[in-house]
Amino acid sequence: MWFFNSQLTIHQFSNSPIHQFTKFMDREVLIEIGVEELPAAWLPALTRQLAERVKARLDEYRIPPDGPVESFGTPRRLTARVARIAERQEDLEETVSGPPVSAAFGADGQPTQAALGFAKKQGVPVEQLARVQTAKGEYLACQRRQRGRSAVDTLPDILTAVLRDLTFPKQMHWDAKLDDGRGELLFGRPIRWLLFLYGGRVVPVTIGRTAGASGPQVQDVQSGALTYGHRFLATSGRAGRSVKVRTFEEYRARLAECFVVLDHSERRDRIARDLEAHARRLGGRVHLKRHAPLIEEVADLVEFPGVVAGFYDRAFLALPEEVLTTTLVHHQHYFPVTTDGGALKEAFLAVVNTQPADERVIAKNAERVVTARLRDAKFFWESDRKVPLESRLERLDTVLFHKKLGSYRDKTERIERLAGWIAAEALGRPEDSRHATRAARLAKADLTTDMVFEFPELQGVMGGIYAEAEGEPEEVWKAIYHQYLPVGVEADSPPDRIQLGAATISWTALSLADKLDTVAGLSIAGERLSGSRDPFGLRRQLQGIVRILVDLHELTGLSAEPRIADLVARAGVGFGVQPDNWLPTVLADYAVAERARHLFRTRGFDFGELNAVVPPDFDGSPRRARLILSALQTLRGSEDLHALAILFKRVKNITKETATGGEIDRDALAEPAERALLEQIDARRPRVDAAVGRSDYRGAFAEIAGLRAPVDRFFTEVFVMAEDARLRSARLALMASLRDLVLHLADISEIIPQTE
Amino acid sequence: MVTLQQLVFKLSEFWASRGCLIQQPLDIEMGAGTMHPETFLRVLGPDHWNVAYVQPSRRPADGRFGENPNRLFKHHQFQVVLKPAPDEVQQMYLQSLEACGIDLRAHDVRFEEDNWESPTLGAWGIGWQVLFDGQEITQFTYFQQAGGVDLSPISVELTYGLERFAMALQDVDDVFDLEWAPGVTYREVRHRDEVEQSKYAFGQIDMPAAELHAVHRRLFDEYRAMSETLLRSGLALPALDYCLKCSHMFNLLDASGGIGVTERMAYILKVRQMAVAIARKWTGVEEIVKL
Repeated sequence: MWFFNSQLTIHQFSNSPIHQFTKFMDREVLIEIGVEELPAAWLPALTRQLAERVKARLDEYRIPPDGPVESFGTPRRLTARVARIAERQEDLEETVSGPPVSAAFGADGQPTQAALGFAKKQGVPVEQLARVQTAKGEYLACQRRQRGRSAVDTLPDILTAVLRDLTFPKQMHWDAKLDDGRGELLFGRPIRWLLFLYGGRVVPVTIGRTAGASGPQVQDVQSGALTYGHRFLATSGRAGRSVKVRTFEEYRARLAECFVVLDHSERRDRIARDLEAHARRLGGRVHLKRHAPLIEEVADLVEFPGVVAGFYDRAFLALPEEVLTTTLVHHQHYFPVTTDGGALKEAFLAVVNTQPADERVIAKNAERVVTARLRDAKFFWESDRKVPLESRLERLDTVLFHKKLGSYRDKTERIERLAGWIAAEALGRPEDSRHATRAARLAKADLTTDMVFEFPELQGVMGGIYAEAEGEPEEVWKAIYHQYLPVGVEADSPPDRIQLGAATISWTALSLADKLDTVAGLSIAGERLSGSRDPFGLRRQLQGIVRILVDLHELTGLSAEPRIADLVARAGVGFGVQPDNWLPTVLADYAVAERARHLFRTRGFDFGELNAVVPPDFDGSPRRARLILSALQTLRGSEDLHALAILFKRVKNITKETATGGEIDRDALAEPAERALLEQIDARRPRVDAAVGRSDYRGAFAEIAGLRAPVDRFFTEVFVMAEDARLRSARLALMASLRDLVLHLADISEIIPQTE
Repeated sequence: MVTLQQLVFKLSEFWASRGCLIQQPLDIEMGAGTMHPETFLRVLGPDHWNVAYVQPSRRPADGRFGENPNRLFKHHQFQVVLKPAPDEVQQMYLQSLEACGIDLRAHDVRFEEDNWESPTLGAWGIGWQVLFDGQEITQFTYFQQAGGVDLSPISVELTYGLERFAMALQDVDDVFDLEWAPGVTYREVRHRDEVEQSKYAFGQIDMPAAELHAVHRRLFDEYRAMSETLLRSGLALPALDYCLKCSHMFNLLDASGGIGVTERMAYILKVRQMAVAIARKWTGVEEIVKL
């Protein structure tokens, strides 16, 4: 093992007088895991994970960091730095319990075998054992004090543990092992070097190699004080050679000299600046906001970003913008350049991992790739349009949707009927039913086009574009175009009403029908959802359904409040399934309520409110739930509602056995307090119903809050569980009618914190 | 100007100097150099092995009658397999590019995530596509499994797409404009082959489509039966030959639209079962030889 700072010897870190001296030294910990290129998509989470795991392990090993753990990531390195850590573990004090005192000493006061055995095991005489009082009685105990090890002795275990801790979307075998008793070390990509410093001195850690691979070209990875710069760039000497460092400051500075920008945000900002500068030079601009995710991604594909401009033939501008953008952005990670007005120009910008002397050398090759792809796209654009969408339906027979559920042709027939029904019945717009049906009929036809075969991410979009080119009305083509949306749960995630134009209703019907059909079908086919298993992206489909139904009014202007259970049931009809037994199963198996709760949580509602309105068996109208939640949230401060909510818990408890809808035996109720409550309920019920009818849930809650005083008085003056059976049952029925009136809106008892 | 044939020489010399045996192509139709026994079988078992070879690769569905500047019925792969994967393999790979005349500082060479999987071979690996100024020129894979068998030690496979690589080196936009040898173009060497093979692949022959499909199906079944017989006889290598012929028949059926969706899966499964059985047999054979 090679130590960087060789004048220090190991005993300086042990318990010796010199130990005092070390307190003044820099106590920084620096870890760099040098890897072969990690996937860009993993880097943000991995970088976070590294800091979390280092922190957690330092805590676990009782060497708490003084300050935050910083972490950094580039494609070739994961770096963690702690400015200062304690120089030794905190001492550990623990009390080990032995036998009960009653069993520890005989009648003669002498220790029993149990006591002697415990003392021996702890390595102390019996008389030094302590006694502790517990809930179960008095026990013998031993106070143990374990002196902390020095940090330098502990750090190798910490890094070893952290290497084991890191998780990857996909991990690989690379003939590596750790000497921690657990054998092989899997990782995201092979580790090629480890930099591990404590106070400027190397902490020894070794990643071994398996016997079957080990040899002259496959060697152990031993920690050192070396890092490596950019693969290809160097100001002098050979690129990529090793660089010795002692501190984080030095590490970062030397890397910068060696063309490695350690910080993701610095790379990102440089890229954004360079893109803008280049675009201006071309007389155009780059839409930085729209392409923010791409900028984040390319920042993790490079260590030293540069920008190169490339061009393609103007003739390709005749292609749909979506095709050009997809080719550039999704396939090549290039940025389209637009005019100030937002129209595409025949230019793109490529982010590269270098700052080339001659941009054109790289640009020419990039242009060749772009041109080849666009030439293919142009060929597809021309050939696809020779076959109308309608006549492609037959070919959908050969495209499998699901082995138990048939082809996309079968699916098309189901969603045609379902979309028509949703428009006419669920949304109450029979006049839009025709457009919804037509859109559904053509929705999947683009799956047989060459363009979608080559650019799968354009499914739906291409169908919409081809439908428009064939002269289908906006109600139809825009519905097809946006059918796979929404993806996000936020209120402003696309599409919005402006994008949908005339297609608001037909799109809603198609988008719902497609997703509902998938959900119902997969349930019928017996597909299960579990932690990692999510066939057909079911969760996202369910989330999409909920999102549309929650924001139905904003998306369509309609006030309809379709229940999710009714929609799923209707989708089941398409497969010839009767909802009776199946419906509760699908709602429970796919945790439909949880999708709604998730959406509402992101919209700022808390658990109490969600429990009140969206219980785990929720199957109602998501839009209605949203309105009730909003009303409940604004009225939570109301003293009456709060007081009533507390009383309501009693109402619910007392009526646990009482059925819904029972007739109240009015003549049996004679006490003034119960007469008053009955009158109040009678008076307020129609007003609550009227408010609900207007979707005025604030008004409805206000009416209900008005019941607080009579309920309070009722519980003070009336004993519900009367001896007389008739009286008791009349009072219970009164309570049950109150219960049902409130539950129709929300279980308000849930908004009261458990402690009250 | 590096001609296509010089590219082969340079890569062969480079990898020979790094300890690779220079093998020759397998004389049987296949879709990728991975199916050559020098890769598919050698990555199995414990023995260290370093090898490089050119493999003509036939992909009937990519045939374009010699009219597309980028797509070919048959292209050429330069295949390198290093077992176990050396620690310096990325560095070695980059040096091979320099050996072909590339100035790494003037270009943008990147390793971008691209994992490889072959359902028909029961094989998969972790790795990258190597992008040369945005153009994929090499698939770089750490094999994890082949023939359904977990691998140890791990091999690395480098597959250079020779035509694409040469197009970047020669700065041409059309594969048929490549210079194969001084004064001889790719068009002169291969164009007629592309036209005729495409016609065959897409069924433009003097035989109705249904009949052509039937021939390919029958051949598939016969080759499969032969492969199974050979395997029963303990002969992994001849069995693999016939497995590859099955795979090619399947590719032809697929290209000419002779297979439905469900059937397609069934065919892939059949080839995979053969490949898995051959891989098992091969590792067994190796053990016996060692004893």
